[in-house]
Amino acid sequence: MTSRNVSGQAYAFLAMTPIMPGEEKPLRTYLDGLRDRGPSPLAKLARTHMGRFVIVEDFINDPSWKQRKPEHLAMPYLIFSSNFDGDLDSYLDELCEELAPEAKQIWGRCVGCPESAEGPALKKYLKHNQIDTGVFYTPDGKTTVAEIKAALRQRDRMIAFARSHQGDEPEALHAAFVKEFGS
Amino acid sequence: MNGWRTFLAVSTQAPFEAPVTGTGTASGNVDGQVIAITVFSTIKWYGRVFLPVLFFATARFPNLTGTLAKLSFIHFARWSIVKQLPYNGEPQVKQKLHYPHMYFESNFNGGWEEYIDAFSHILTRGMTSFWGSSYGFPKPLPTAPFKQYIKQNEIIACHYYAAYPEATATMVRQSLELDAKLAPLKRNAAKMDPDQFAAAYRKLLTDAQLCL
Repeated sequence: MTSRNVSGQAYAFLAMTPIMPGEEKPLRTYLDGLRDRGPSPLAKLARTHMGRFVIVEDFINDPSWKQRKPEHLAMPYLIFSSNFDGDLDSYLDELCEELAPEAKQIWGRCVGCPESAEGPALKKYLKHNQIDTGVFYTPDGKTTVAEIKAALRQRDRMIAFARSHQGDEPEALHAAFVKEFGS
Repeated sequence: MNGWRTFLAVSTQAPFEAPVTGTGTASGNVDGQVIAITVFSTIKWYGRVFLPVLFFATARFPNLTGTLAKLSFIHFARWSIVKQLPYNGEPQVKQKLHYPHMYFESNFNGGWEEYIDAFSHILTRGMTSFWGSSYGFPKPLPTAPFKQYIKQNEIIACHYYAAYPEATATMVRQSLELDAKLAPLKRNAAKMDPDQFAAAYRKLLTDAQLCL
């Protein structure tokens, strides 16, 4: 049976790791500041469609919900989730190599993360803390990031082409199309 | 040739002129047009039994998520059940969870309010199936209490990344449809004479009008 983490060729990964005592605030500051320091480190993983880092401080307990007993997280947790192309093993191999500088600042602040925060040890750590998906929905699931980016670029080119060649005679239109799109 | 000129006056969308639609949420949840939503909810006792069955049925019969496809602004969505937390040794506090907890995430475009409205009105039964066993779930309709519930249970992302942030899910679908329609003309254009090509190009623009 196909893993529920998989839809088509897309994989839904989620790891939930406990944050070391006293490290929640520095971790939050680091993650919040990633955008200010340039492109997202997740952009280094070309197979990533969408990814996020979330800090879960506690579960929500509302007395009006009549929960039999409240439930609190004993410590804050970091969630890393990613929707990517292909299989988990090769993706984590890439992540643990490409994200090594950031991983030290991110999972290096979590309990149990290997000292080096890279390579096979980090991969094993992330897999140990994986939470499986119950339902994974993608409208397509078959198309990779590279294919989507290429299709988006091509659509832009086609729109520009259609605009700039309105009213062309067949000869000119044909020549321009072959030049722009001919293989 | 006048007919040509008239016919080829196609209506297209500007490639990068679409307004950024990601509104109604914190900036941490936004990357370009794409919005992240992350929600935890605590599951009642009967959800322990019901939700795994629902998840199994949804995986076994994908048509059950067919209604989700009506929400054309979703890139990816997922539900997971956290029954226990993996243990990594000290100083992690070992704890046995009394309840399972449901993790939900979605990656979509548009406004947060509009997203929840659409979920509530179009997926009314589905929403009740997925969240009906969660503590505090107020039913999808009316939407005001439901939005309040989601806000209460939502966690803002510290960092969110989308590989194609400028694109809505509709633009992605249109681009892929255009690619399929355009491929034969790209392949054969060089072998056609200008009039043949012009006819094929006209047909392409007609067929692909909704992709542009």
